[in-house]
This record gives sequence, C-alpha cells and structure tokens, in this order.
Amino acid sequence: MITRFITEVNTKFNPFSIRSRATRLFLSALPPNARQNGMQINTTLLPRTSTQPATLQVKFKDGKEMTLDGEQLGIKGIVEEVDRHSRALQKQADLTDG
Amino acid sequence: MPPRINGSARGSISRALQRTTNSQRPAAILLQSLRAASRHYASASASPLSLGGLKLPDNYVPPTQPPSARRPEERKTQLLRSYTALLRSTPLILFFQHSNLTAVEWAAIRRELRLALDNVPAPVVSPADSNGVPLNIASSIELQVLRTRIFNVAFKIVEFFDPGEQASKSNAYLHDLSSTAYETIRKVEAAADPNSRYAQVAPLLVGPVAAVTFPDVSPAHLAAVLSVLSPSPPTFPPPSRKKNPGYYDAVAQNGLQKLLLVGGRIEDRVFDLEGVKWVGGIEGGLDTLRAQLISMLQSAGLGLTTALEGHSKGLWLALESRRTQLEEEANGGAKKEEAKKEKTSA
Repeated sequence: MITRFITEVNTKFNPFSIRSRATRLFLSALPPNARQNGMQINTTLLPRTSTQPATLQVKFKDGKEMTLDGEQLGIKGIVEEVDRHSRALQKQADLTDG
Repeated sequence: MPPRINGSARGSISRALQRTTNSQRPAAILLQSLRAASRHYASASASPLSLGGLKLPDNYVPPTQPPSARRPEERKTQLLRSYTALLRSTPLILFFQHSNLTAVEWAAIRRELRLALDNVPAPVVSPADSNGVPLNIASSIELQVLRTRIFNVAFKIVEFFDPGEQASKSNAYLHDLSSTAYETIRKVEAAADPNSRYAQVAPLLVGPVAAVTFPDVSPAHLAAVLSVLSPSPPTFPPPSRKKNPGYYDAVAQNGLQKLLLVGGRIEDRVFDLEGVKWVGGIEGGLDTLRAQLISMLQSAGLGLTTALEGHSKGLWLALESRRTQLEEEANGGAKKEEAKKEKTSA
C-alpha cells in the first residue's frame, strides 16, 4: 500500500465486532514510522455494546478526503481505494520531480 | 548436516543398531524383545530383519517422523501447549493491538513496564506459594506477542475440550495435541454458541495481537500496567516526567502510540476498555472488596436485629410511658393540692 501521500487517518471501531476487522487491519498496514513522517493517526474505541459501524477516514496531501466503509470493502477493497488515489498523486509527484 | 529423512526403514534401523552396539552401555539392558516396544515402532517390528531380542536405542528416530528442523521453543506444537497452559493458568489477560512496532520500541516498552511493575507496593495479603512464602507476582507479568491463529486454536481447546468427557473412548489420547481434541473443537466450531467465552473473545484476536498476562488478579498491578500502556489521566496517569524520564523517550512514546488496548479477559469474563479500567480502579484490591462485603453483611445483620427488636421495644416504651403517666396522674392531684396550700400560706 502506498502510504506516502496520506496525511491523516481517523478511525473509530468496536473491537468486539467482527465487522471492524478490515479497519483494524488497515491500522496495522501503516508503516512503523508513519507518525514520525507526519501522518496523524487518531483511533477511537467504541464500547463493547455499541452497534455503530466502524468508520475509517483518510486524508491525502492534496486535500482529498476519503470515507471508507470497511464492512463493505474489506481490507483488500480499502487498500485498492487508497492506492487508486495514491497512484495518481505518485504520478504527479514523479512528473514534477523528474 | 546429515540428511533429515533417512533412505529406508531398514537402513535406518540397522544404522541405529550399529550405534547401539557401538555405545558403551551394557548390551543386556538394551537387547530386549522388540515386540514389547510401544506402538510407535510398529513399522520397525514389520521389518524383515530378524531383530528378536533387540531393543531400539532411546535416541532412535523413526524414519516416518524425522526430527523437526525448528528449535523446540519455536515449534507450533510447543506453542499450542504453552498457550493452552497459559489460558488455563492465567486469570487476567489484556489484549493489545500492536501495529508495526519495531524491536527497539518493544524493548523500550518492556523496560518501562518492568519499571512500573517493580514500583507497585506489595499488597497486604499477597498470594503465597505452598510453603506460605509470599510471592511477588510483578516479575511474572509479561507482555508477549501472540501467534493469533494458534492462540485461537488453543482457546478453543481450553474452552470446548474436556478430557474427562472423553473417558468412554478407552484407547484415545486425551492431551491437547491429540486428534480427539482436534475432532472435538472441529465439531464445536460449526455450532459455536455466540455467548460462549470463546465467541466473545474471538473477534479481538484479529490482526497483530499482543497480550499482557497476569498470574493473579491484582488491581494494583493492573493499574500500573494500564498507566504505562494505555494512560488515561484522571484515574491512570502516565508516569511523571521527572521520576521516569525514560518513558518520555522518543522510542518508547512512538511504540506506545502504536499499542492499542482492545479488551481483556478477567476471571472468565470478557471486558472492553472501560471494563478493564473499572477493574483496575478497584482500590486496595480484592481484600478491600472482601472487607467491604463483610462490613456490609455485618451492618445488615445489625439492622435486622434492631428492626425485629424495634416493635417489642416500642411496645415496652409505650406501656412504660403510660405507666409513668398514670403514676404521675395518681400522684399529681396530691402534689397540686400541696402546691396550692403553699401558695395560700405564703
């Protein structure tokens, strides 16, 4: 997953729900030095009885905000969506740099 | 390195026998009937060689089961056994999600955890071993990364497999690695009760999971762990910067940001973050709770006796007051007359 262009990740999930699986896996897919490289990662844990769906909000360097539904997409779908935009940014960055 | 899988059964047995004869042990002990050997060596007894009166050496390796190349402590069988033992013996487990922590961050976190646990004052009544010597559980509280899938299987075995129920199967192995255990958990898995302890914990064991294991339910130690690993200022403040500068080290802080307390299992009950904090907030530990219960029961008893006593006491008081009243009335006339006489004389 291309994480260079992500500036902020906001998640909210109930760990006792099996549906929050993809959101949790997304957090574990971020690189170990993500925070040092300026990525904001905010996580809110919902109480066990909560029935709210897990939410995942990703902000990119160009200001685009994505709200992803982990329950529908799954981890593969989330990575696909994030990468789709990241690749476009990567292409732009390559053109301006090179 | 010698080849792990030997060429043929016959060859390996003959080689093993050569080793036996070369060894310095007395041959009379070693050479016993092969037929008496246990069923592990059934293939060896089918060998065409006339091996009557011979016994395989203790270090004999059956060709169908070559030794594992992994170190014993890394083998999955060993891991499964250690996890079942852990689950059976540990009343308090906290589960953390760890997202890509580096080795130095783990080291820093373990160092801070150890420091915080060593500073916990020993409880008034600490758990004692069989000789009555009080134990300090702080050294046994450990943070370890779990292999989630094997932990999952171990959890199922602990929850659903009871060797006592399998007594009817006379010739079956009943240990945790046995096929009986495997069959049992596979059957149960299909129709798992959603309220079972396993079903409650299973959603937590997703992705990278680490666990802090406590050998005893000690709210003081739990509070110390919470204040280090997931501090929440009013009740579980992080260690102060002056006392514990290492905690504010960049490495330790980076690691702590990536640890996320997702839940815990305390005495066979499953708690979320708030529940764990509630248990950690019990001041003085279980002994205080017991003392509170005893005082509550005592005061309840006292209240009951006073309530039962109350009616008879009230009756007695009413009669007694009525008696004094009557006595006063009987005496009162005389007293009033005396008083009038005194007034008139004056």
